[in-house]
Amino acid sequence: MTKFVLNGQPVEYANSPDEMLLLVIRDTADLKGTKYGCGAAMCGACTVHVDGQAMFSCQMSLGDVEGAEVTTIEGLSDDGSHPVQKAWVAEQVPQCGYCQSGQIMRAAALLSENPDPSREEIVDYMSANLCRCGTYNRIFKAVERAAKEV
Amino acid sequence: MTKALDVHGISRRGFVQMASGLTFVLGVGGVTAVRASALNDAPLEVSHWLSIRPDGVISIVFPATEMGQGSYSTLPQILAEELDANWDDVEIEQLNADDRRFGNPLFGGVLYTAGSTAVQAFFEPMRRAGAQARDVLLQVAARELGVAKEELRTEPSVVIAPDGSRMSYGELVALGADGVTVPDAERVNLKDKSEFRIIGKDLPRRDVFAKSTGMAEYAIDVDLPNMAYATVLRAPVEGERPVSINDAAARAVPGVLDVVSLPDGVAIVAESLWSALGARSELEVEWSEDAPARQFNSEDTLRQYAQAADDPDAEHAVWAEKGDARAAIAAADRTYGQMYLSDYAYHAQIEPMAAVASVDADGQGAEVWAGTQTQSWTTRTVMDVLGIPEENVRLNMMTMGGSFGRRTAFAQDYVRDALLSSKAVGRPVKVIWTREDDVKHGTFRPAAAQKLEAGLTADGKLDGWHHKVATPTVIGFFNPVRWASVRPNDVISMRGAESKFYGITDFRADHIITPRQARLAPYRGIGAAYTSFAAEAFMDELAEQAGRDPLDFRLDLVEDNPRGRHILEKVAEMSGWRNRGDRALGLSFAGYSSSMAAGVAEIEVDADSGDIAVKHFWAAVDAGLIVSPDNTMNQIEGGIVFGISMALREKIDIENGEVLQNNYWDYEIARANQIPQIEIYVADVDAPPVGIGEVGTPMVSAAIANAFHATTGRRLRHMPFTPDRVLGVMAS
Ligand code: FES
Ligand code: FES
Repeated sequence: MTKFVLNGQPVEYANSPDEMLLLVIRDTADLKGTKYGCGAAMCGACTVHVDGQAMFSCQMSLGDVEGAEVTTIEGLSDDGSHPVQKAWVAEQVPQCGYCQSGQIMRAAALLSENPDPSREEIVDYMSANLCRCGTYNRIFKAVERAAKEV
Repeated sequence: MTKALDVHGISRRGFVQMASGLTFVLGVGGVTAVRASALNDAPLEVSHWLSIRPDGVISIVFPATEMGQGSYSTLPQILAEELDANWDDVEIEQLNADDRRFGNPLFGGVLYTAGSTAVQAFFEPMRRAGAQARDVLLQVAARELGVAKEELRTEPSVVIAPDGSRMSYGELVALGADGVTVPDAERVNLKDKSEFRIIGKDLPRRDVFAKSTGMAEYAIDVDLPNMAYATVLRAPVEGERPVSINDAAARAVPGVLDVVSLPDGVAIVAESLWSALGARSELEVEWSEDAPARQFNSEDTLRQYAQAADDPDAEHAVWAEKGDARAAIAAADRTYGQMYLSDYAYHAQIEPMAAVASVDADGQGAEVWAGTQTQSWTTRTVMDVLGIPEENVRLNMMTMGGSFGRRTAFAQDYVRDALLSSKAVGRPVKVIWTREDDVKHGTFRPAAAQKLEAGLTADGKLDGWHHKVATPTVIGFFNPVRWASVRPNDVISMRGAESKFYGITDFRADHIITPRQARLAPYRGIGAAYTSFAAEAFMDELAEQAGRDPLDFRLDLVEDNPRGRHILEKVAEMSGWRNRGDRALGLSFAGYSSSMAAGVAEIEVDADSGDIAVKHFWAAVDAGLIVSPDNTMNQIEGGIVFGISMALREKIDIENGEVLQNNYWDYEIARANQIPQIEIYVADVDAPPVGIGEVGTPMVSAAIANAFHATTGRRLRHMPFTPDRVLGVMAS
């Protein structure tokens, strides 16, 4: 049994501790907002917070989060009211949307570390996540908008 | 996200068929049935495109599929505009069947979302359906109020009488259709542009909230009771098959349910994806090693294509012709020619291929969840794989995590994998391709070699243009049925080579149809992704040969295209082209189908690493009428980013039939830190809409190549412009 806190709730799962955290989140906890894109630390579609840090959940095993606090897009807010999510809607960022849970989780982690990032810091931090639809400039604007509200 | 109307658990269409209540149905050209009965709680189905319920909810069919382009919102908005609906009353109903009443007129009625055609194709029919429905509502109100229809007007979702009294659309629907006639779609009154409340305004996209909260459901997310997971070990080379399978170790992995032999691979079906992936790595499969594709080597392929492009006697199909290009070039004061090359490219959509299938116990029907660009060919795939009739196929078209042409095929192998796996284990099965599967078994933009030749007059004007494109037929591979009817004209391979925005008196573009040596598919921009690179890089070289400014040289050619002239002048103004001094600017004028785009790139070249950084991109676009301005900006910007990505890095290599790349670490796509500042101007014109999904892409690569010449004096003629190629060109 691996015990940890998922979106504020204590959970325990009997899956093999070796199992990829991303798959446990998606298929065992049934939280489908976190996406699989590459399994190789290259795209960031799987980004979640582990103890407040943005992490690639495809690069962690279930055992790695024993005792940790894990937050997914579903736990960021109940109703899309997190400032980053509101900024995403205001700037109409998503196209296909598939990368956006990961982008939002990364942006939220950035703002909790650095509430007033420069454009350069935003670009740098967000470069871990890919968006094939090419919404990057909107992502930057949305992060700046959210920074004003945090 | 997608709501199918559901009345007490009975589907809308089922309910209509029961006809308990007021229902009247229009066919394509007019009334096909008018039925009424006593109950007043039924929807008013004015045409197959929409229904209005007495509670005021308006349900509009979305006939396309959504992959990020936004037509899930845009198409229903077109109908809602002419209906004069309150957009908040509208529910969007995803079309989940190969129902040809909603077929794409630009694809002969096939349900096919591609080629930036959705708004262009559905603009008229959906406007007219909305206008017909509004007219019907006015008639009901006129009857009820005892006034002439002409004295009534509408505001969003209400009819207003001369005395100011108001009746909502929902109330009117409950009153019944007695005495109502449905106006002819062709003659119904349409709004003037100045009356638009929805078209051209910035209504938020319907899917953005779901996509900002993790709630949007893609095929890869579908979860069913008792569902199993499958992953497939595929033949490393096209056309090969498993000859022996040792699955003992794989079957011993806990959670494995079955190992299913597929025509070109082996599927592991398990209780979890983790088990399936673990078991797959334990599989020992011997593949047949006799496929002709074993001979495919991308370097040789491109060399062969270049030879064909250079061979004056190569067999060819004329793609576009005006006047006599060869005679004009032969007689010109000066002639000039160049060869341009481009490699295979991969879609790299972030959601890999995935599908869920639940085959009925008797094998005679199936429900399928998939994201594809075509209800028609997905339906066909299910019918063909299971040998079942169309009516036994139950489809759920899911929003796609990007596609860019990836999910267009006539035969959809990932849907097939899910069906065969489900049939084998008697449970619903979700098939997921890993990123490596998606790359190694990708379907690519074809490699191409292009030879351009032109003549110049003594005073530096263009005098004859001959564009030869040596590349295989894409349609012939991904949709042989369509190829049989369009052969030898392959718009997917050739688009853009017609250079139709220029008035070139003696013009010819030929398709030298070379042997196919990879799996192929449409890719964002289709042929224009490489033909516009060659044409616009060559145009820049010609201007140089003629001793003219690249802008002036092009302006000569748009005398009969004032809209084209406008965007060229506009982008020159935006970028400061006329006073550019020694800034590294490059100009390009391309577009997609009938949408035009002029672009200027400003770049920096790192002479040590060979890296090109695009610092700024200006674009001026004319795509006719714009339905959703904000989404248009997002799409054009995305198209430009895509163009930068493919121009700088994207390349697939094939050796002995195997794709060498694996994942995003060796197939790199543009990241946030490679994105320039982008400024876009969209012309406000009085012309039909012609599409915005791909117009941003084709102009980009030549703009970069031309900017490279401006700063280094060298020409980049092989896309992508990877650092090794850049260094090679600079050293030459
Ligand atoms: S899925 Fe984890 S980084 Fe791509
Ligand atoms: S919105 Fe499609 S990948 Fe980012």
